[in-house]
Amino acid sequence: MTATRTSAANRFQPIDHQPDDSSPMLSQTDKTLARIRTELLTMFSAADWESYNHLVGWLRDTDVASHALKVGDDAPDFLLPDAEGRLHSSEQLRRNGPLVLSFFRGGWCPFCTAELRALQAAKDEFESVGATLAVVTPETRDFPRQLKRGLGLDLKVLSDVDYGVAMSYGVLFRVPDETRAHYSGRGFDFGARHGSPVWMLPIPATYVIDAEGRIRSAFVEPDFTIREEPAQILALLRQAACTSSEGGGSWKATPGQSGNEPV
Amino acid sequence: MELHQVRYFLAVASTLNFTRAAEQCNVTQPALTKGVQKLEQELGGQLIYRERQLTQLTDLGKEVLPMLERTLASAEAVRRRAQEFQRKDVAPLKIGLAPSISASLVLDPIAEIAKFVPGLHVELREGAAKKLVDLLLEGEINAAMVGDVQDVPARIDDWSLFEERYVAVLAPTHRLANRPSIGIDDLRETILLERADCDVAVKIQQSYFPDEPPQLGHRSGHDIHLQYMAAAGFGVILVPEHMPRLPTLKTIPLEGDPVSREVRLLAVQGRRYSPALDAFVKVARLRDWSVEVPDRGVPHAAVPEVVRAPT
Repeated sequence: MTATRTSAANRFQPIDHQPDDSSPMLSQTDKTLARIRTELLTMFSAADWESYNHLVGWLRDTDVASHALKVGDDAPDFLLPDAEGRLHSSEQLRRNGPLVLSFFRGGWCPFCTAELRALQAAKDEFESVGATLAVVTPETRDFPRQLKRGLGLDLKVLSDVDYGVAMSYGVLFRVPDETRAHYSGRGFDFGARHGSPVWMLPIPATYVIDAEGRIRSAFVEPDFTIREEPAQILALLRQAACTSSEGGGSWKATPGQSGNEPV
Repeated sequence: MELHQVRYFLAVASTLNFTRAAEQCNVTQPALTKGVQKLEQELGGQLIYRERQLTQLTDLGKEVLPMLERTLASAEAVRRRAQEFQRKDVAPLKIGLAPSISASLVLDPIAEIAKFVPGLHVELREGAAKKLVDLLLEGEINAAMVGDVQDVPARIDDWSLFEERYVAVLAPTHRLANRPSIGIDDLRETILLERADCDVAVKIQQSYFPDEPPQLGHRSGHDIHLQYMAAAGFGVILVPEHMPRLPTLKTIPLEGDPVSREVRLLAVQGRRYSPALDAFVKVARLRDWSVEVPDRGVPHAAVPEVVRAPT
């Protein structure tokens, strides 16, 4: 199993990030997410490994990621509140350029917080190519606010209240009982966080949606420890910016888009 | 899971008949069955018993049904909003407020959803929590905001929005008006105006008057009535901190903040949310309600709701 995990992490060419010394809080920005992942995995306890292997194995066996929307699909529209309770519509978010929409599991997940910090560090670059970034959590109440405050995030954190958006993107699953027991034991009460008696989570996924509402890139990865590198999203956006004047259509899917076994 | 699988399951759950459910979803029965089976696989168990003529939900089916209904309604809300707008038939949003919940709480959420639901009409109703639960079940209102409430039927979803304390409110001429805080002994020796159907009556009784009942003065079920009577010097009232107060009243915290309550949002399960209701529930569940009680213990400034100049 370990070999598979390593190879999965190495699928992505490490791309050196521009050093960013703007914030001491975001000192991770010189590292790729793949490297942070490796570090986080070394901190896994035996119980964490067992739960991780079980969940990822279950997600692959049931092929949950096969429902996920793919490149070329129409992106479902949505209207969601942000961490401050202000509504954002997808039409608005993608009106002036591509929308980068990233589903994450919640503020309790270290792989998610690493990803959010990396996205925060890349936010200006996203904006410089005309893209809008929004991250989507199943958490409600003041959890998204706490997360923003805790990490010093200045991102649009949208709350997918009642999971409707994750479901329409096909990345939603019911947390299996074993996983539920593991996270409960760690003190994470998704019921209270999500305001839902049934525990559901999204498969972490990053979509790029063009101004017309078409999905141009889809990164869907049942292994929740693996996320799309911001540098890679950025490369896609730059490529799009170059080709969009020629009518677009030349976007390529990113690796991992199908959510299939990496190797 | 996939939208269409969930749709199939919800159709079976409402018809308890695979043939009719397939018709409703406009698919063949084998396709419907396959979709439901796939969903069962993902959810980790059977959702539906199929025994001869008898089609019934399993315990798991019953457990996940309300959640899936809400998720599907939520996923479809945007499309329905566009349809409503095209038909110029925007469903009104009827919100029930318990007497101890000020309309000031819902103004900002209403303004927020009105940006996205053109033609929005809101109707506010006031009633005691029990009455609001009945109105919800009858479909007379779509959502309700209440304080502490007992025995909410299982068919009603119930989210805690925020917690707030109760404070003492009195006329500036009252003998306790210059205290930094009001203690138990003070309250025992003063006249309290009685709030009919008070959410926290039991808590107040337990905290302050375990042995002998308070000296109750005049009574009303309406906060504004109580405020006018307090302003006239008839007695002290205990009010939830968010409640806007008449500018002629003084607010003093209770020593040790012994009385607090949760403000909750109620909506009926399984009833299709209108786009406006969907947006309202979402905003309410994310909103930072602490802005409603910004300065604990500091008397509130002028209050729009109750002292609004006639227009």
